[in-house]
Amino acid sequence: MPLDRPLEIRGLGYAYGEGALRKTVLRDIDLSVEPGEIVLLTGPSGSGKTTLLTLIGALRAMQEGSCRVLGQELMGAPEAARVALRRRIGFIFQQHNLLGFLTAQQNVAMALELQPGLREAERLSRATAMLGAVGLGDRGPSRPSELSGGQRQRVAVARALVGDPGLVLADEPTAALDRQSGGEVARLLRDLARSQGVPILMVTHDPRILDIADRIIAMEDGRILPTTRAEAAGGG
Amino acid sequence: MNVIGAAPEQAAGRVSAPPAAPRGGGGLDPLRLPMRLAWRQLRADRARLLSAIAGVLFACVLVFMQLGFRSALFDSATKLLGSMQADIFLIHPMTLVSFKPETMPRSRVSQALALPEVQAAVPIYLAQSTWRNPETGRRRAIQLVGFDTEVGVMDFPGLAPLVEALKRPDTVAFDRRSRPEFGDAAKLLAARGPFDVQVGSSRMQVVGLIEIGPSFGADGNLVMSELNFRRIAKERRRETVDLVAIKLRPGTDRSVAVARLTALLPPDVRVLAGPELVAHERRYWEEATPIGFIFAFGSLMGLVVGMVIVYQILFSDIATHLKEYATLKAIGFGNGYLRRVVLSAALILAVLGFVPGLLLSTFLYDVVGKGTFLPLMMDAGRAGGVFLLIFSMCGVAGLLAMRKLADANPADMF
Repeated sequence: MPLDRPLEIRGLGYAYGEGALRKTVLRDIDLSVEPGEIVLLTGPSGSGKTTLLTLIGALRAMQEGSCRVLGQELMGAPEAARVALRRRIGFIFQQHNLLGFLTAQQNVAMALELQPGLREAERLSRATAMLGAVGLGDRGPSRPSELSGGQRQRVAVARALVGDPGLVLADEPTAALDRQSGGEVARLLRDLARSQGVPILMVTHDPRILDIADRIIAMEDGRILPTTRAEAAGGG
Repeated sequence: MNVIGAAPEQAAGRVSAPPAAPRGGGGLDPLRLPMRLAWRQLRADRARLLSAIAGVLFACVLVFMQLGFRSALFDSATKLLGSMQADIFLIHPMTLVSFKPETMPRSRVSQALALPEVQAAVPIYLAQSTWRNPETGRRRAIQLVGFDTEVGVMDFPGLAPLVEALKRPDTVAFDRRSRPEFGDAAKLLAARGPFDVQVGSSRMQVVGLIEIGPSFGADGNLVMSELNFRRIAKERRRETVDLVAIKLRPGTDRSVAVARLTALLPPDVRVLAGPELVAHERRYWEEATPIGFIFAFGSLMGLVVGMVIVYQILFSDIATHLKEYATLKAIGFGNGYLRRVVLSAALILAVLGFVPGLLLSTFLYDVVGKGTFLPLMMDAGRAGGVFLLIFSMCGVAGLLAMRKLADANPADMF
């Protein structure tokens, strides 16, 4: 089934808590991402962007509106459907969250264990190739503790991309990195996504990496600000 | 930029591959992969792994020792009856345990002989007396077993060559497996030939050795003829017996003979097949004494302690890796996969703790068995049973620890 848009959100709303303590964090969100597009989501903390990301990533149950991710409607979707959808999304977190007892190669290959019918040799060779693509071809046997912060985050990028995801969701992937490695990771992510044609939706505060975006969306108080800057460096 | 130069071709190659076509891998992957992950996780922290193995090993050895003692004590308690090798026994219905028998009339022996199936019937006399250690002079309680040694119903190892010697007045055969406190009869026999000892208030001559083994009721045994028994146990009346051992003609159906004897004999005797009497005796020790409970309780404690240790290890493993587990959930690993990881870890610990536990217990059986004269024996049935217990123990610990997985919430990852 050809999908025109990997992400399409209409009238999405979300609130935490019950009764008098109920606090609305997202209201009336409309957002879509085009195939291959790199979209950055910015805004002050508490603006609801992380909540939005967890909803899109099928990590939370929807409350209101419609959210179609890779053809799957998330409103009312059962847990099993959400788990299945998560396998088709590449996640990159603020922390690398690699398994400390596995090598870099095993960490990346782990993401492929979710795909049925792959042989171990295929998983490992694809992991090695992916590590090569993030510039860590020789660090496959290293454990996360033996890698620098930037290298770990690049392993995390490799883990997110190795399974050929239809969409990459990233939450401040450069926040824990210094200027140089943060910029490297961001550009690496952009280049790999472009070469695979994968769209990226990234939450970030980091002004140093805004240049990788096709489009930047600003959020405030649970709404998307109307002044979206549709034009960004290198888009197209 | 040169770093990612190869990426486009790779990507193109990958995209063309059908994503979900089943090939290779194998149907065991849903079990094999979580188990491998569990093993890698356990292996990464050697100190924690070793303490977990030590916990399982401890539980394993404790259970093996408790079960070993239990069955050794029950085995030894029924040793005397078991080694009599009679087909059928007659006892008084009120007899609870063989070392405290109620007596029955001697005439039941000849009544039993009237049945064509019965080849031989021997009255057996049991009594406790004292034995003066020929080396140290100390007195100690000993079990006397008197019967007609000639008939050949009773077949203790070593008895056959002594039958003639035991016919002489004031002779006894000594159980070589009696506790060492009775003195080293084997050495004395080898050095001096038959030697005299004081049994009760009589002087008896030890003419040879037989093999029975000590039991709850008796630390040692003496076997002698009916006549010599009455010389020691002077107060015993000739016309009452404690036990009757019956040998059937070859080819006779034992249960039929039991039924016919029951019908024939008056209700002051109870007819039991050989193994039934052993079971009857065993039941007394299991049910009428706290022994069975003590060892069951000890085994249970071992399992509980082992379970707590394994649970602690698994729980803290999950707690310290909560973020990683949440990440795995976020990227699409289901709860089932993670549960299998925890359960696999538990079962790996069961195997890793059981194997050294089995070896250590076998070694301890040998050492302790020699020290206590109890028949401690490792057999496949017990090893299998304990393995199942340890396996279940770890499994329950794993199931309990698994609840911690619920704390790994993938929505908290962003």
